[in-house]
Amino acid sequence: MGYNLQNIQVLLVEDNQPMMNLIKGILLSFGVGNVITALDGDEGFKEFCLFNPDLVITDWMMAPCDGLTLSRKIRTDPKSPNKYVPIILMTGFSEKQRVISARDEGVTEFLVKPFNTRDLYRRLYKIIEAPRQYVSTPEYFGPDRRRKRKDYYDGPKRRSTDIQGDDDMYSDANPGDIDGIDFR
Amino acid sequence: MDIKHYNQKPVRNAKFITAPNVLKAKVGVGGLSDTILDRAQKLLENHTEDFRPLAEIYIKQMKEGIDAAKNLGQPTASEEHIARILFPCVQLKANGGMFHYPLITRIAERFVQFMEVVEKLDEETLEIAAAFHTTIKIVVASQIKGDGGEQGESLVEELNGACMRYFEKHKDEIATKG
Repeated sequence: MGYNLQNIQVLLVEDNQPMMNLIKGILLSFGVGNVITALDGDEGFKEFCLFNPDLVITDWMMAPCDGLTLSRKIRTDPKSPNKYVPIILMTGFSEKQRVISARDEGVTEFLVKPFNTRDLYRRLYKIIEAPRQYVSTPEYFGPDRRRKRKDYYDGPKRRSTDIQGDDDMYSDANPGDIDGIDFR
Repeated sequence: MDIKHYNQKPVRNAKFITAPNVLKAKVGVGGLSDTILDRAQKLLENHTEDFRPLAEIYIKQMKEGIDAAKNLGQPTASEEHIARILFPCVQLKANGGMFHYPLITRIAERFVQFMEVVEKLDEETLEIAAAFHTTIKIVVASQIKGDGGEQGESLVEELNGACMRYFEKHKDEIATKG
């Protein structure tokens, strides 16, 4: 038995139409029931308020409203219907300082382009199986930025629901992991 | 007395919240099978979206960014000018590999890394930017898909060489900054 993604709704925000078609196709082939699309952060936020999806996947660099602004609005705007929704930010950037700035806007997971389907699935799996706590301070609201890989159980997996061969998801040997943001 | 924070009031007042795991409740257990993941991967590998019209937009934007910086007639560290060259190149890096042009991703990635180190536009860095721009333009125009084989390797080596010569020439300046 595996995940049944038929009942989930994903908001995909991407200004590049061919890329949007591609990612939407991947999500549908994963079995996602409904993929809502938007071409920039402003339109994305409107769709988010309208449909209250279970997951947001957004590109970073978009005009006029980019993915970081969208993330901040989802986390802090009074109109946001779910400020706890998981957000995956896609980008071509992989430099540490830029990743940290994304993390500070409340992004849950970071996905560097180009990626393959297992990279996307890995983020989805992590969001479902190891969700972050949220932190609320006067300066920040969003997923706990301090999650480290050592929080994970790294012993043998014996449950029938464990995925065999995916131990690398919880490996400590990932130099690219900055305070819980995995940007392989 | 609450001794958790000695006899002080905590300054940051961070509140930790465990949000309900709605996704987990909806999707159940067991992950996605290899069959599903392989099928999705095939879709990614076999799609026929044409990258060239999009690539040409980014290539044009990159050229406009280079020309705008050149027209200043003096070196600049302005974020706006850097972004006008860097951002289209990041888009080329991000998209190339997903549209059967991994060589573009590789070349653009080298330029992004170069710009992350120099963070300044002058005559020499703009010449290097122009070399990257021309090479990417050739790869798209010639439809060099895949890694480009020996020709691709040689293009990347040439560009790497240009960057290394720049760093060698400016090593004192870069060492001071670092």
